[in-house]
Amino acid sequence: MKIKVGVLFGGKSVEHEVSVITAIQAINAFDKEKYEVVPIYMTREGDFYCGPDIGKIESYREIKALISRSVRVLPVGEKGRMKLLRQPPKMFGNNVYDIIDVAFPAVHGTNVEDGALQGYLQTLGVPYVGCDVLSSALGMDKYAMKAVLKDNGIPVLPCVRFDVKRWSRKRDEVVEELEGKLRYPVIVKPVNLGSSIGIKIARDREGLIEAVDYAFNYASFAIAENAIVKLREINCSVLGDYETAEASECEEPINTDEILSYEDKYGGGDGKSGGGKGMSGLKRLLPAPISPELREEVRTLAIKTFKALGASGVARIDFLLDTDEMKLYVNEINTIPGSLAFYLWEPVGVKYPELLDRLVSLALKRERENSAISYSFETNILANFRGGLKGGKR
Amino acid sequence: MADTVGFVIYTLCFLFAAAMLTKRQMHMFQLNMYNMASHIGWIRRDRKGLLHSLPALLAAVLALVPGAGYFSAALLAVTALLSIEGRAKKPLVVTKRVLRMFVTLAILYALFVALAAALEGARRYFCAAFALVVFLNPLTVLLANILMKPVESSINRGFIRDAERIISGMPRLTVIGVTGSYGKTSVKFYIGKLLSAKYNVLVTPESYNTTLGVVRTIREHLRPTHEVFVCEMGAKGVGEIKEICDIVKPKMGIITSIGPQHLETFGSIENIINTKFELEESLPEDGIIFLNTDNEYIAGRQVKARRVSYGCESEADYRARDIKVSEHGSEFKLTGKDGVEYTFVTKLIGRHNVQNIAGAIAVADTLGVPMEDIVTQVRRLESVPHRLQLINKGRDVIIDDAFNSNPSGAKAALSVLGEFSGFKVLVTPGMIELGEKQYELNYEFGRQASMVCDFVALVGERQTKPIYEGLISAGYDKSKIFVGATIQAALAAVEALQTNERKVILLENDLPDNY
Repeated sequence: MKIKVGVLFGGKSVEHEVSVITAIQAINAFDKEKYEVVPIYMTREGDFYCGPDIGKIESYREIKALISRSVRVLPVGEKGRMKLLRQPPKMFGNNVYDIIDVAFPAVHGTNVEDGALQGYLQTLGVPYVGCDVLSSALGMDKYAMKAVLKDNGIPVLPCVRFDVKRWSRKRDEVVEELEGKLRYPVIVKPVNLGSSIGIKIARDREGLIEAVDYAFNYASFAIAENAIVKLREINCSVLGDYETAEASECEEPINTDEILSYEDKYGGGDGKSGGGKGMSGLKRLLPAPISPELREEVRTLAIKTFKALGASGVARIDFLLDTDEMKLYVNEINTIPGSLAFYLWEPVGVKYPELLDRLVSLALKRERENSAISYSFETNILANFRGGLKGGKR
Repeated sequence: MADTVGFVIYTLCFLFAAAMLTKRQMHMFQLNMYNMASHIGWIRRDRKGLLHSLPALLAAVLALVPGAGYFSAALLAVTALLSIEGRAKKPLVVTKRVLRMFVTLAILYALFVALAAALEGARRYFCAAFALVVFLNPLTVLLANILMKPVESSINRGFIRDAERIISGMPRLTVIGVTGSYGKTSVKFYIGKLLSAKYNVLVTPESYNTTLGVVRTIREHLRPTHEVFVCEMGAKGVGEIKEICDIVKPKMGIITSIGPQHLETFGSIENIINTKFELEESLPEDGIIFLNTDNEYIAGRQVKARRVSYGCESEADYRARDIKVSEHGSEFKLTGKDGVEYTFVTKLIGRHNVQNIAGAIAVADTLGVPMEDIVTQVRRLESVPHRLQLINKGRDVIIDDAFNSNPSGAKAALSVLGEFSGFKVLVTPGMIELGEKQYELNYEFGRQASMVCDFVALVGERQTKPIYEGLISAGYDKSKIFVGATIQAALAAVEALQTNERKVILLENDLPDNY
């Protein structure tokens, strides 16, 4: 009997297409001796589809056509597994399309990577790979992540957070606060988006206003922090959970612009291979040309960050290196990294199938540990209930 | 009864009586595990059933008497009403098998009635036959069982083949067999809890330990994500352990104890020993057998598989030392395979539970669970329902040891009771299925109880006579003994006792409805 893994991808996210690439790479890399993979595509409208073409990358050139020849399904939890029911149901015959033992979210961005999908799976009662609800949410919100890391003595750049309403009503006040607490150049980011969307650097007040307006196209909350002038970026991946975690090889991504843009990340490699390789096709220096001491510092800090946030599965932590002061800062954590950062693990001897195998084991371990805790007590307070609903609790 | 109306009324009374009696019979048959021999034994002892069906015998005679037709029908209705069961401890579960038997019987009855309706002239004789069938109702259930046997066997074989297919589709699964005369269920749950620190474990639920129970567990609960399957194996006769092993193919086994349980169906102690060791014989070349060497029958036996011993009293690979037991739990020391001594603390009470935990630790340590994690899991162990389970009831404490008692466990339960402060009460219907030793062992139990208990409530006068005599022979005061017919009466008597201190009530063995 093979373990059935349901790989979920797509979703109502700006990084919808990227996750298709991540997912299909993973689907193809699973050890088919041990696992049976069921690809589950989530459309932008929030519908789930399965079918023989859902796991093929070519199908996604024409998504409408793909949908019309695929089966719409409804996930339902049953005794710790996820049942996929045909929707609408057939009049005769079996309406169970398949039953999944473990869910594997291969999604990026808000609405899917931020705990929403994780919470849904937890409610269904099926074990799932990767960060749980809290760590997913912390990973997605740059401000919350900084707060937790600061409390753990992990270096992060100080930032100021503000919302779009305050910006439109008290613009001057916000500008003064920002100029007071920060110094130019300043980088402005939406608080909860990934993949460098909505990010701009400002060198003066005019630039600041432009950058903030730009960021508020994409989110209701934004943060501003000091931009590092002499900057190098180093990324490192971590695999494990709260108990044991290990770090991968380090990489240094190459920018074509001031900051790594969406185009850089996903526009795709060189002209010949075309797009469609995701993070794995990006230009990068792997391993990153840094000293062994710095490499160890990065890897140690990456593990510390991973554990401080209560992360699980495989994550990629992006660092900022201020080369003037030779100081390292944690920029952000990607709780579901592009291509699951498999290319960072191959250099340290963890091949993609093994990476996936360990991710599934971690998911089952968490499920096992959580089910050992009793979440309901034997008392039935409703059995002895008398009188009104008010004043029930003391 | 030549007139149609009369015949119809008679038939209805007949069917009513048949339905009520059949339901009761089916219920008891289910409790007797669908075992013909057990059920026949029960029929013989069922005085109440015989008494309640006597009106039907009279009805059979009266049916032949002209003019007594309606009176005869009324007697059948009375029989029906007498047989209606009250609330049962374990009510009838209408499984597919039970349904198949009901349908078979319904068809037979329908044919019978149709025949009677067709042969107008012989109706009087048919009515007498109806009443006779009601009186002989126990036989109809046995008949249905015999008729359905080929169908049931075929269905069961299908289930067994399905389970075998599932097991062979999971070659990486580690199957651990757990058997013994007693302590199986406890040890199985403890092993499951300790191994869960590192592995995804499935254990057979509740007390499922028959071939079909194990097969059902595999078909309904085993998942590809499971890494270990802890399978409880029970037996009442020779070859039954081997039957389960042939299906699950265990890689490891543990034998928790050997004693005179089910002596009447096994025949001899030698048979019991050989049957338990069928588990060891089923292991592969690199299999491991865990043995409770405190038990003399186990310690002396030669085995082929790699042997790991555990216990409290004897020299063993995993020997629990410095054992402290109290009403708050137990504490002991044990050395793992790394040579380091660890202290274990648990909420579980009773010295034999320490022995059970030592066995579970042996298995977990051998399977590579880190000892620190084992210590944590032991701390979290909870009592298995109805096995020395502590229940606080206001001021009083109940020690619920209601499941399948055995002499060794009963003795241990009494010593646990002795650890508690308060007014100590024993409530018991005695121990059963001990064959020729039943009198002797219950007598001994009575003697042991006399030394610990402040009050003893016995359920079922006939059954508990040996205990009563054991108590008296030890000089126990008669006024401190209550003998009642039901458990409810016994508990009510205990409730009514006036005491200064809290009551500590040991419920030792609770017999199922078919006793």
